[in-house]
Amino acid sequence: MILDLHTHSVKSDDGRAKVPNYCRWIRTRELPVDGFVLTEHRQFDRESDYAGLARKHGLTILKGSEVETEYGHVLIFGVTEALTRAFDFADINLPLARVIEESERHGAVPVPCHPGRKRVGMFAHIDEYGVPEGVRIVEIHNGGSRGREDDLAQRMTRELGYLGIGGSDAHIVSHIGRCATRFPAGVTSAAELAEALRAEEFEALRLSPRPGPPSPDTGGAGT
Amino acid sequence: MPSHIDEVEFGEELPAFNPDTSMNNVKAFVRAAHWFGPRFTDHEAARREGLPGALVPGIMSQGFLAAMIHRWAPEASLHQLDTVFRAPLVVDEPCHINGVVTDIDEEAGEVEIDITVANEAGETRVFGTARARLPGA
Repeated sequence: MILDLHTHSVKSDDGRAKVPNYCRWIRTRELPVDGFVLTEHRQFDRESDYAGLARKHGLTILKGSEVETEYGHVLIFGVTEALTRAFDFADINLPLARVIEESERHGAVPVPCHPGRKRVGMFAHIDEYGVPEGVRIVEIHNGGSRGREDDLAQRMTRELGYLGIGGSDAHIVSHIGRCATRFPAGVTSAAELAEALRAEEFEALRLSPRPGPPSPDTGGAGT
Repeated sequence: MPSHIDEVEFGEELPAFNPDTSMNNVKAFVRAAHWFGPRFTDHEAARREGLPGALVPGIMSQGFLAAMIHRWAPEASLHQLDTVFRAPLVVDEPCHINGVVTDIDEEAGEVEIDITVANEAGETRVFGTARARLPGA
């Protein structure tokens, strides 16, 4: 199963995509993804119910979140109601250690995203704060990456022994499906997604041509 | 080149557009718009401000986007142009604008268009959506 693990809808302040149009786009363009995860900025979207839409299009639609820490942005998969009460998702200065600790306590999986990016990526903060404890997975293919951001993410991921996922970071409809993550079995719920990530059997994929000049250093960190 | 809403298809791509981001054109724009400032017309002055070079003004980028939509559908009236500036668009650096129809409201006669401005490396600098109204059949 292939899931785009990083997308935003109009629920995010900078998101412009309506979820039904993501579905229609995936099917019209015959994109090789089986579903996607909505990781809205600084919130967990409790209200939206995409079950009918998912059934209609034969897609898996799950919900996660993207929160902000001193190490940059972090995706959280497998968010539970209890986790949303454990810390304030809207806080833009969350301590990464707390996000990791609370996520793990509630069965969720935290994943620093676009870690090679300035300011909002984890590797930009290692000189100042050191290598954070408890990180196991980072995003190594991000559809919105520029320059060598993904190269840096992949190199550091190899050096630090992390695992890597892929996600489009789509904010508009036509950007979905640029990057994704392949799992060996089906995933039908947020809890199953968290379990699949903890099982550490997945592969990060770039599905659309990579922007930027050819790089000599892109391989080997795909899983 | 659709002239009516029912001629538009979901997923339809607008003809790609390579706007003129040369310094001469930007200078002409800022003169016309009365939007002066060395960060738009002087690479060195812009670098002294910590920028990668002189910037194409945001409203000029939006003008390019509007122009692309009107080239595609001259009958269309543009009702909303909503842009997110992710990275600077630098003067004298070529860029490409793409648009694709991602929503059609036939009742309202409106289409939504995803718009992306990318540099030569294919990196997104600006993205957003536009809503344009076309005449009914």
